[in-house]
Amino acid sequence: MNTVSRIAADIGGTFTDIAVVLADGRIATRKLPSTPPEFARAVVSGVTGLLGELGAPLAGIEQVLHGCTVATNAILEYRGARTALLTTRGFRDVLELQRVRVPALYDPLFEKPRPLVPRRLRFEVSERLDAEGNVVAELSAPDVQSAIAAIEAEDIEAIAVCFLHSYANPAHERRVGEMIRAALPDRFLSLSVDILPQKREYERTSTTVINAYVGPPVSRYMRAMIDDLRAAGVGGRLLVMQSSGGVIDAESVVHKPAQIVECGPAAGVIGALEISAASGYRNVITLDMGGTTAKASLIEEGRLSLAAEYEVGGGMSSRSALAGGGGYALKLPVIDISEVGAGGGSLVWLDKAGALKVGPRSAGAVPGPACYGAGNDRPTVTDANVVLGYLNPEALAGGSVPIDASLSRRAIETHVAAPLGRGLLETAYGIHQVANTNMMRAVKAVTTYRGRDPRDFAMFAFGGNGGIHAVDLARALQVREVIVPVAAGVFSAVGLLFARLEVNEMAAFLRSVADARAEDAARVFADLKARIVRLLGVPEAEIGFEPQADARYKGQGFELTVPLANGAHEAPTRAMFDDFAAAFAAEHVARYGHSFNGAFPVEIVNLRLVGTVRQERPPMVAWVPGAGRAARPETSRDVYFGAAHGVRRTPVIDRAHLDGVARQGPFIVEEYEGTSVVPPDCTARLDAAGNIIIALP
Amino acid sequence: MSAEIDPFQLEVIRHSFDAVAEDMSLTLMRTAHSGIVRDSLDFSTSICDALGQPLAQGICTPMQLGSFYDAMRRLIRDYAGRISPGDVFIANDPYEAAGQHLPDIYVATPVFDGDRIVAWSTTIAHHSDVGGIVAGSNALGAEEIYQEGLRLPIVKFVEAGRRNQALWDVIAINVRTPDKVLGDLQAQMAACMSGEREMKALFARYGTDTVLRYADHLHDYTERLTRAELREIPEGTYHFTDHIDGLGANPEPVVLQVAVTIRDGSALVDWEGTSPQVKGGINPSFPFTKACAYTAFRSILKADLPTCHGFARAIEVRAPLGSLLNPTFPAPCGARGITGYRMIDCLLGALASAVPDRVTADTSGGSTLPTIAGYRDGKAFVFCETFMGTWGGTSAHDGQSGVPHMGANQSNVPIEMIESDYPIRIERYGLVPDTGGPGRYRGGLSLTREYRVLNDEAILNIRSDKRRFPPHGLFGGGTGAPSLNLINPDAENRLLPVLMTEVEKLRRGDVYRHIMAGGGGYGDPLDRDPADVLADVIEEKVSLGHARDAYGVVVLPGRPPCVDDAATQALRARRRAEATGAGA
Repeated sequence: MNTVSRIAADIGGTFTDIAVVLADGRIATRKLPSTPPEFARAVVSGVTGLLGELGAPLAGIEQVLHGCTVATNAILEYRGARTALLTTRGFRDVLELQRVRVPALYDPLFEKPRPLVPRRLRFEVSERLDAEGNVVAELSAPDVQSAIAAIEAEDIEAIAVCFLHSYANPAHERRVGEMIRAALPDRFLSLSVDILPQKREYERTSTTVINAYVGPPVSRYMRAMIDDLRAAGVGGRLLVMQSSGGVIDAESVVHKPAQIVECGPAAGVIGALEISAASGYRNVITLDMGGTTAKASLIEEGRLSLAAEYEVGGGMSSRSALAGGGGYALKLPVIDISEVGAGGGSLVWLDKAGALKVGPRSAGAVPGPACYGAGNDRPTVTDANVVLGYLNPEALAGGSVPIDASLSRRAIETHVAAPLGRGLLETAYGIHQVANTNMMRAVKAVTTYRGRDPRDFAMFAFGGNGGIHAVDLARALQVREVIVPVAAGVFSAVGLLFARLEVNEMAAFLRSVADARAEDAARVFADLKARIVRLLGVPEAEIGFEPQADARYKGQGFELTVPLANGAHEAPTRAMFDDFAAAFAAEHVARYGHSFNGAFPVEIVNLRLVGTVRQERPPMVAWVPGAGRAARPETSRDVYFGAAHGVRRTPVIDRAHLDGVARQGPFIVEEYEGTSVVPPDCTARLDAAGNIIIALP
Repeated sequence: MSAEIDPFQLEVIRHSFDAVAEDMSLTLMRTAHSGIVRDSLDFSTSICDALGQPLAQGICTPMQLGSFYDAMRRLIRDYAGRISPGDVFIANDPYEAAGQHLPDIYVATPVFDGDRIVAWSTTIAHHSDVGGIVAGSNALGAEEIYQEGLRLPIVKFVEAGRRNQALWDVIAINVRTPDKVLGDLQAQMAACMSGEREMKALFARYGTDTVLRYADHLHDYTERLTRAELREIPEGTYHFTDHIDGLGANPEPVVLQVAVTIRDGSALVDWEGTSPQVKGGINPSFPFTKACAYTAFRSILKADLPTCHGFARAIEVRAPLGSLLNPTFPAPCGARGITGYRMIDCLLGALASAVPDRVTADTSGGSTLPTIAGYRDGKAFVFCETFMGTWGGTSAHDGQSGVPHMGANQSNVPIEMIESDYPIRIERYGLVPDTGGPGRYRGGLSLTREYRVLNDEAILNIRSDKRRFPPHGLFGGGTGAPSLNLINPDAENRLLPVLMTEVEKLRRGDVYRHIMAGGGGYGDPLDRDPADVLADVIEEKVSLGHARDAYGVVVLPGRPPCVDDAATQALRARRRAEATGAGA
């Protein structure tokens, strides 16, 4: 009998993806429609169905790994808790004014996102600290009492508190916290000193407000999910993905619910990290291309890249500090993922001077590309891929979505090729290339913008369209190898299976490296460690710790996070800080091409501790491609590979037709989860884990 | 190889240029030292072709759009035959380097292919101080450019990879904040190096000549697209007159007058009728006058236009020599930003009748620029920030508050950063009710900020106006509230001159309160939906009295407040009748 102890459920607005790993390392997956608002229903039916087929009992489940959209959607749809905010007197508008900068230049019609707490629910309290944390004005208890009275009268569910300079002295916020807990024990309360004890009042206020705003809906969701799964006999610990890539107990999520806002895209990157590492790759660019967007992230020396801050809401989430202002600042650790509006459904159009444009508008899933024949007659990237022969001309998604290739040809001919006076194939190839150029921006945002050379990396491609565009994109970036994993179309669920129980906690520690005293750091790290042990809920001996610090040259406004020596959290020494200064300078050179050593001292801003539970990994054994599904016979069709290669009769195969021996292109691998294109000048093989490894010339 | 242009390749190369310029901007921002660069983002980066024509700009400050070309053309002309790999040029002078004003320092480095210059990697950044009579180098009272600080002609900052140490030392001793200035200059150099590296990679990938051929074509394509956009604007000549309140204790209004002619896909901006240049630091150099016209046009055109030089070819700008907008030596320029903002506002005022759905009613008029400076423990400190901003209403929604001016997409400086770095405490920062110009779509509210000095002595310099000529409304909308600068508002409550030509001396504990102007309204306020007025009352953005007086809406106080429909209808009918009667 099979046993399954880890199951993963990635719930999106439309689909719920389930993945399970068997004791022998094989992975099985299933895709079902989501069942809002009772999201657990799809999970239960997917898991019972899948385990039934595998002959594995539900009772064996020890962990349910979960990615969800509850926090993101609460913000995007303005369906979070009715929230109040307490601020220092004179500063209730900090939240609404944001950082003033707008995301798009030259747009007089721009509208700012509306604040998550309306002005009249932002209450000012007399109190004041200076930048060192000295009390300039005592906290006014009557002000707090009258705010509490107003909150009571207003049917408020959640309360955020953020006072100026509280990172330097938490006393006032803590006292307000005690008063609120005493008077209104059932309200969800977020103090900025607990959520983000860091300088910069807008970012701290916004992060604290987001935490309060999503707190009640996240708590309700987790409670319901736990209860519904238990009631259906799906037991085990419910572990939830965080934006930073680790999972944490559903009960602990409620401590800092804002930490799960970006959990969706995180899971795919975790999967890429684990699967590529198991295949021997330590430096990887991930490319996740779906229907409307493409996302890229960087894995370097087997480690994720984290971003210090990002924005949520107001359209697409953005981590670019230059494009700020379109959403709400959220300054918690997040996997650095850049996103551009280029997917299979992206619409293709010509501007007034005849230049070809791809996106950002998308035909979406409905009406979808022209070839769906569902009401859109404008060409999309998918239509170009159909015309080129990259996609099956009769049906997509392994035969489940019938299409009409003549509609793709007509759309491109009418709207693009004829106006440009170009041939159909040449035009379709041009569309394919321009889409790649848009995606190149996403990849550059996580590589060259961070001082990394893409040539040092392999590309790991997933999402429904990843395998179609990856090779040409890799070529443009001079990347030499592309990896297409199994189950690329439900890859976030697969990624969840590999997630580690992990939290990332920080505390302010503002001083120059030269002045950093080991005993002060030891005290801060001891606090962080206690917090992590509590959050992870396992004995300390099972946790591995990695100490880090956020630092900058004195006078700069942006920090880099750099690891401290192993064990620095237990017994920091002077030498460790000296080594840290050198490591910081090296990272500064890597990113920006120079250091300010000698000119400016290195200054630490925060200390961080990452705690990861050591646990048995699911074994990575030979994946049996197409197991349970007979490989179809090889077929072939005409495919266009650009002017250099022209149209070639190209074999269309199953993954099961590949083996460890490199096969010369051209050929196309067609699967239910996606399609991979191997051009004439490339070769591809299967590795031990069942990944397609494409080698570029 | 044929000289044919492949439209797909063009799009690919254009995006590659943009990516290089953006990459430079990120490097500059993340390594900069001064608040005005790293937080306010008052800088731009650009990749230019061998002639100095921008191919892409990493734009943080739109008013710097098109500000590279004149300076680069001058550099290339003056140094022809004397440029080597590893050179880094630096310049700031409006007269000897076709620059902007002295605080804006250019740093540029050539990109070589063999012994041929194929591109330039350039940056411009606003520095926290370049010397002169007032800290921050924005003296309104300067009467000649020599009073404004260190003038740098185009010189080699680094020569073939070797630092010109003498020049570094001269700069360090002439500025009040050498750590910040030299730190920011190094950040500019890091950005230039990043641009050079990335351009070389681009040339290697596609071939130098191919990239250069597409670069040429990019200008043509952009010009064509710009002209196509201009053809969608009704042809005609559009006039507008706007003002700067004037300098000093007895201000004399400075007139800006423009005629914009749109014809056959081109635009002519003619500033004939504008005041002569003034003895005060608000004279923009002519390259800046052009840049502001480009910005105004760029914001009313809808297409995704490349920020390359081809755009400028469709727009001609004229200003009489010796006028405010085309001054001659030695007119001072330090605080000319205010004139730049006013030019953009004036142009959008003119274009409002041509494209009423693409503009806002008038804005708060660009950044207020307060400087608080002094000496602490024998060392100079210079606090300066660009404080913005509020927009007027549009044909579709209310004016936004807490937004930058169209000419400068800059951030505010976090209060916690100011208080960590300077002997200043911010006592208040927020919206001021009842200050938005009334309209069917209300103007954005004024912002206020209060600064308390925590040093024994400090000087205060402020660039701010829109008091005598507050932001105008459009199509029946009212003006926004005027701006005010007050000293110790809770005690002496002394009003400062609008554009002060002499610094104010402050002592420990003194408070300076700034209230910026409110945005203009769009459309008749009597047409505003009473539900929107009620929402403003509930949000404490409009008082009960202002709702009645400005909008003719009677809101009954209570929990929650509500609109008295009958009283509102009656009041609005009476107001309309009065207006008709007055008009008859």
